[in-house]
Amino acid sequence: MKTLVLIPAKNEEKKIGTVVSQVKSENFEVLVVDDGSTDSTAQTAEANGATVLIHAVNRGQGASLKTGIDWALEKDYDHVVFFDADGQMRADEIKNLLEPLMLDKYEVALGSRFLGRTENMPFSRLITLKLALLFTRLTTGLKLTDVHNGFQAWSREALGKISLNQDRQAYASEVLSEIAKKKLKFTEIPVTITYTPYSKKKGQKLWNAFHILWDLTIKR
Amino acid sequence: MIIQFILILLILIFVFRLFLKFKNRETDKKDFFLWLLIWILAIAVIAYPQGTVLIANKVGIGRGSDLIVYVSIIAIFFLLFRLLLRIEKMEKQITKIVRKDALKGKGDE
Repeated sequence: MKTLVLIPAKNEEKKIGTVVSQVKSENFEVLVVDDGSTDSTAQTAEANGATVLIHAVNRGQGASLKTGIDWALEKDYDHVVFFDADGQMRADEIKNLLEPLMLDKYEVALGSRFLGRTENMPFSRLITLKLALLFTRLTTGLKLTDVHNGFQAWSREALGKISLNQDRQAYASEVLSEIAKKKLKFTEIPVTITYTPYSKKKGQKLWNAFHILWDLTIKR
Repeated sequence: MIIQFILILLILIFVFRLFLKFKNRETDKKDFFLWLLIWILAIAVIAYPQGTVLIANKVGIGRGSDLIVYVSIIAIFFLLFRLLLRIEKMEKQITKIVRKDALKGKGDE
């Protein structure tokens, strides 16, 4: 079974080295999609043993994942794990997400920070997430404990079924609506997400929720 | 009135530029005629503002200038919408090119 850990990254030179080597130490192959970084993200990732694809200009996290998925499908990987570049997620939990896929019971495993332990989540983030949860419930009918969690494991077959067209953050909602539409067998797995001052600075702002809503409604 | 003279002069400059762009093939036939039609209508309305009152009254609007404002706003929204769609299409195309470029060379390692 070939597994690829896919990490989209933009200007993450401070963290990407540690993140890549942590994932590598769990014996996974790593692909970093450098999304138009202006720092040494690509070089640092490569030096730590990742394969690197480079977006010449910034196209967004959704577009980066799609690029990585295309590559993984071409390279015949059986499973692809989406992972963050900012050190919020724990590499030793990757195998927990892969387990349900290995048993062939599920096609997709979604990380959930509300089933797991979440550390230092800012209150504004909590409110945004709860609203997003409601939005997902209303638009897709999926009953989830967490949404917009970037920690996910996908089987090759499931990745082949979905079509992703949202380049930017709205991809997170698109992924879920595709799961609902294509009736993919999914499960939620508890994960630990640690909010550090660094990740908070790099992460989603409340304001961004409006951008995402715009992408999902007006621009469609 | 002086304002009529100024406005028509301005529009004639726009039309002249439009012709130049068309001659240099910077604009396609469809856009050229669309804009030409818009500017000709604008000149007609400025030159004979009384004419708009007749049309306005027919559709139930009191003043000719009100009709012009309503029509202009609709036209602006239409153009804005077209512009948004076009930008969206371009964004998609850029992503496609960037992705192709990223995958190139890493295809057979």
